Amino acid sequence: METSKRKSNYRPIIVVSLISLIVCGLFFPLLVTGIAQALFPYQANGELRQLDGRNVGSELIAQSFNSSEFFQPRLANESASGVDPDITQADALSQIPGISNATGGRVSVSALTSIVDSNVEGTFWIFGSPYVDVLNLNLILINDYPSVYQNFTG
Amino acid sequence: MDSAPGRRGRFSRLPPFTSQVLKDSVVRLSPFSLLSNPVMFIVEMTFLVVAAMAVYPQGFGSVASASKQTFYLEVAAILIITVWFSTLADALAEQQARNTASSLRRLETEVTSRKVIKQGWATDMVPTKSTDLRKGDLVLLEKGETIPIDAEVIEGIAMVDESLMTGESAPVRKAPGDSVIGGSRVVTDTLTVKVTANPGETFIDQMIHLVESSKRPKTPNEQAVTMVLLGLTAIFTIIIVSLLGLSITLHLGADLSVLIALYVCLLPTTIGALLPAIGLSGVSRLYANRIVAKSGKAVETAGDVDVILLDKTGTITVGNRQAIEFIPFEGHTVKEVGEASFLSSWYDDTPEGRSIIRLAYDSGYIPKELNSLELSKVYPFSATSRTSGVKMSRGLMLGLPKGIDSGGERRRFRRKAPEALEGLDENEPEVEVLKGAPDSMKSSLGAVPPLYDEVVNGVSGAGETPIVVSRNGSALGVIRLKDVLKEGIRDKVMAVKAMDIRPVMITGDQPLTAKSIASEVGIDEYVPQARPEVKFSIVQKEQKDSRIVAMIGDGTNDAPALAVADVGLAMSSGTEAAKEAANMVDLESNPAKVIEVVMLGKQLLMTRGAVTAFSIANDVAKYFAIVPVLFSAAIPQLNILGLGLESAVLSALIFNAIIIPMLIPLAMRGVSFKPSGTMSIFLRNVMVWGVGGVIVPFVGIKLIDLLISVI
Amino acid sequence: MITLPEFLSVALILGASLFLAWLTAPYLVRVYKRVPGRLDRVLNPVEKGVYKLAGVDEEHRMGWKEYFLAGLCVNIVQMVIAYLILVFQGSLPLNPQGFPGLSWDLAFNTVISFGTNTNLQHYAGEVTLSYLSQMTAIQFLQFTSAATGICMGVAMVRGFIVGSKDMGNFYVDFVRTLTRILIPFCLVAAVVLVALGVPQTLSGYTTVTTVEGASRSILVGPVASLVSIMQLGTNGGGYYGANAAYPFMNPSPLSDVFEIGLMLLLPTALIFVFGELLGKKRETRPILIGAYGLFIIDLGIAFIPNAPAVGQGIETRIGGFMSVFWTVVTTAVTTGSVNTTLSAMHPLVILAAFMGMLIQSTPGGKGVGLMYMVMYIVITVFIVGLMSGRTPEYLGIKITSRDVKLVMLAFLIHPIIILIPTVLAYASGAAAAIGVNGAPIGFTQILYEFTSAASNNGSDFLGTAANTPFFNVATAVVIFLGRYGPIAILMALGGSMIGRARTAVSGLRTDSITFSLVLIGSILILVVLTFFPFLVLGPIQSYFQGSVNGFG
Repeated sequence: METSKRKSNYRPIIVVSLISLIVCGLFFPLLVTGIAQALFPYQANGELRQLDGRNVGSELIAQSFNSSEFFQPRLANESASGVDPDITQADALSQIPGISNATGGRVSVSALTSIVDSNVEGTFWIFGSPYVDVLNLNLILINDYPSVYQNFTG
Repeated sequence: MDSAPGRRGRFSRLPPFTSQVLKDSVVRLSPFSLLSNPVMFIVEMTFLVVAAMAVYPQGFGSVASASKQTFYLEVAAILIITVWFSTLADALAEQQARNTASSLRRLETEVTSRKVIKQGWATDMVPTKSTDLRKGDLVLLEKGETIPIDAEVIEGIAMVDESLMTGESAPVRKAPGDSVIGGSRVVTDTLTVKVTANPGETFIDQMIHLVESSKRPKTPNEQAVTMVLLGLTAIFTIIIVSLLGLSITLHLGADLSVLIALYVCLLPTTIGALLPAIGLSGVSRLYANRIVAKSGKAVETAGDVDVILLDKTGTITVGNRQAIEFIPFEGHTVKEVGEASFLSSWYDDTPEGRSIIRLAYDSGYIPKELNSLELSKVYPFSATSRTSGVKMSRGLMLGLPKGIDSGGERRRFRRKAPEALEGLDENEPEVEVLKGAPDSMKSSLGAVPPLYDEVVNGVSGAGETPIVVSRNGSALGVIRLKDVLKEGIRDKVMAVKAMDIRPVMITGDQPLTAKSIASEVGIDEYVPQARPEVKFSIVQKEQKDSRIVAMIGDGTNDAPALAVADVGLAMSSGTEAAKEAANMVDLESNPAKVIEVVMLGKQLLMTRGAVTAFSIANDVAKYFAIVPVLFSAAIPQLNILGLGLESAVLSALIFNAIIIPMLIPLAMRGVSFKPSGTMSIFLRNVMVWGVGGVIVPFVGIKLIDLLISVI
Repeated sequence: MITLPEFLSVALILGASLFLAWLTAPYLVRVYKRVPGRLDRVLNPVEKGVYKLAGVDEEHRMGWKEYFLAGLCVNIVQMVIAYLILVFQGSLPLNPQGFPGLSWDLAFNTVISFGTNTNLQHYAGEVTLSYLSQMTAIQFLQFTSAATGICMGVAMVRGFIVGSKDMGNFYVDFVRTLTRILIPFCLVAAVVLVALGVPQTLSGYTTVTTVEGASRSILVGPVASLVSIMQLGTNGGGYYGANAAYPFMNPSPLSDVFEIGLMLLLPTALIFVFGELLGKKRETRPILIGAYGLFIIDLGIAFIPNAPAVGQGIETRIGGFMSVFWTVVTTAVTTGSVNTTLSAMHPLVILAAFMGMLIQSTPGGKGVGLMYMVMYIVITVFIVGLMSGRTPEYLGIKITSRDVKLVMLAFLIHPIIILIPTVLAYASGAAAAIGVNGAPIGFTQILYEFTSAASNNGSDFLGTAANTPFFNVATAVVIFLGRYGPIAILMALGGSMIGRARTAVSGLRTDSITFSLVLIGSILILVVLTFFPFLVLGPIQSYFQGSVNGFG
């Protein structure tokens, strides 16, 4: 009895460690991956947005837009992540005259304003402050004004 | 009741500031004698460092500057004064303890007495010093002699003066079986006594041992407080060492003396200085109440008491019931009852018996059979029959009866007793007069009178004790014995209950009597018709339910209960067995003082807690005084007290030092408190000492700063 | 100051967390009391299989030493496994990006940091760790360290239960914590996180061609499973270097609130578990009021300055206010995850974060926060309880000098392991080597690093900058001592309560509001007394110098 207890001192330590490694380190993330891919494939793969059938980026990760006809994301070193995909509604609205100008007025200020206003996220009842996703806005622009943005489509 | 226990008595005043105290306090400044007090030892070490800075600032590199020598000198002076204040508190408490010890020693005057040595038929008298007496020795004591050591009376009856021990000025009657205290004096007659304690082992010796602090072991609670102080000291040491390290590596320019000042201010110097004095004066305060404690722990345990067993007799009532009325049954007169009561009580030596005779005598009910009493047969009180009385036969008239010599009232009677007393009635050759408890008497009666129970219950229902008197088997009537409540006992019981302590009254009385008295003083729990052994079982039962029990006792019967009770207070008039079993002895033999003991225990713990909390809370303000100086260049905004740079440090240090002597009276007298629930006492003390401890130093330091700037 | 909607959102989140924790507590109690339940049919055979395989005698009961040592040994073995995986990840599978193995000191720091529930990160996961490392080193240790913490807390409470004879069996508690609490709760949380936009895939970083034709990697991976345990287990170590500021870990305001709720759930639930396990539900009161009272005081400090709407170092979707709130929560429960950059925070917010880390029980890490609170209660009961005129007692147990010695020792560990290394960092030049000076902001960073390490929090200013041998080793040592030192001492305290005499009448009522408030005051005084001068050199000085955030 006494010896069997002694002997069991190492075994539980090693075996419990290994089993928890397999269960927590492999079984659990694989199980979540399976469920995620089955139920929410769009989110599980990084919310990739398509343009003409190709992935152009993730809605959650900022990408730079050099062309002044687009809404501009924040500079990378301004945010905490460096890939902040959003700008505040106020920021978006302030960019509108410049974008309209850059398109030679082909996209009107009022049209841009309504696009921004109808794509506001981040508020609920009295809570939160409104923001817009830059990639989302720009993809809407490309979609709504194919002639203006023909350089960026297939 | 006295809201601050311990205020009375010879030792409640602070001991005078004598040259002996001064000398002691200076001698104690030696680092070696400070080793037992780590906080103060550290302060003295910091004094040496700052003193060195004052003498040779160049040796301290960047953390000292030569232009500040005067400042260093001032800081060093305050530091050593801080230590001195602490040794002063010690010396004062020692002085107080010495007073206690010497007054105790006075009780142990060495005398030479005659030791009785029996060898076969011969009896020798050997003059023996009290220190050479041993347990079991017999000693013969005559009028005027001092009793050498605690003993028990074997032979003889005498009056003994115990005023030295008890403060009670009237001599006390001692008969075989009574115990006598060493140091008391025989004022009449002769006694043979048996020594019950070896020299050096009496409870007085134990107390002397306790107050002589060098031998005094720390109580568990003191040890725990010491742990807190050590922990805090370690924390503040790390803080100061780190600050010093940062100051040097980051070139913050902090001066070492300012860091040391901060260190000393943060150290729990107040409680560190006063901790020994608090415990010692707690025991001294107990002695000021004429109670001798055998250990410091017992005093603290008293504060935790949940249940107090109170003997009715002596604690709640004056001790003796007084006869106040004779009530005849139908067909008998008051006179008949009175005279029969007189006869039945003649040989009854109890205070009750004497009070019956006095009532009968004062009412003029003097029996004509008085002269025959000499030839009577005495039925002493027996616990089984619970009756007593006399039986007289017609016989010779021999003049005045000779009662048992008991001093006091009986003798007065004898002297004044009228010669007009007549002999026995010729029609009645034999007279048997009995008295006793109603239920016991019932069995000895020929016929029970019709209203027997009504009369008896009427008396007990009013909280009084009925004693039935019979003559030749027929019940004559009832003696009403009334309990006299002790003065202020109701308030004391209320105070006990307010402190969430359950008082339990123990009495030999009938349930009805017991109930009435209990409710009169506000006690909810009582044990009627209790035999002495009942205390033991109550103590055990309460302890099994995890309660802390305090009790009083004087008889040998009480010894087992006293031994197991958490707080056992024995009467010094009690038996040696009781005194040995108890952890405290009341020299005045006043059982009601068990309540004072509990209050003193609470006060002791409370004082220790209050000074500890105050000491720690003080640190908050001291930070705000010194840290802005430490980093004066960087954040002047933190100086919310608006203090001058160097004067801030001096003010905080001075405050830190003078708070010690300011609290010495508190440490020695104890925190005053109103008896009330634990939580309300707690809340009040937290507000006064905790919250007050945060605020007071802000005010104090600012005032001292203003004073310094004026100078 | 704080606007009404902001106030309401804080109140609602805290209220909901308290409510959910209260709902969860009875289930946790059933797990540790081994009350038969519906899950038994599925889990009993699994657990019995594990016990059999491991040679664990289910009925064997442990004293505090055996229990603690079992936990410590299991943790060390797990750290060794994770260390090997990190060092050799280059030659191991599931490494689509082909990251090389970690340096010895970074791996050492990382496994100690994660094995102790600290999660101080001197690396950026997205450019350092393979999928296998993220799963079998990081997530694995996040699960096991969380389970160990809960087990130790529960075991210590067992010591205080009237009539208890042992602390339980570590292996049984550990296995049941994983099978019945952490894995099922995390599974639900992970799926919710995926639904909210957190990726979960093993197919490697996706390269996309952006709208304007540039090539760009989208750094996806098994993120949701990691985020679930990192928040629920109050671990705090992120998949990405930017932690919960990275959109994939915290994609929306909703996910932000959800993750705050996850952090608060178990530490708060364990407060209720305390009272229920003891069979004295009212004794939950001082801990709950103490923990949340201090938490609210911290929040009050943090909300004094106006939170920036969106600004430097703050994510747009999260906003300044929720960044401040998160920063206080994450330090109050020793999670240490961040959804902003700390240098964006006002000095008073940093001060509040310090308070949370220094107090460690507001409500603190799951299990360990509870242990610390018991420590504070014992100190407070002793120091102020004397003023009630009775020998201080807690739960009817008289506090002895040994108890005081243990709690003072436990309390002493913190100042030692925070202050001494801070001084050393400067004295050795290690701080200067990574460009941090002794000015208030720099000092705050160094002090924060060691405070975070000591309290097993893991949030930090330095990040990858501290990937130097000095900081890797120094913080690893601090973390290790800060974790196992107090746990061992407080387990000894709990163990010493077994078989102790109890008084029936309580003098000082620890379950009263009065005591709870005194407890708050005493904790504040103790912690302020210990760290005030250092906080003055850091955030307080920054504040008085008029800084509005760490950027100056």
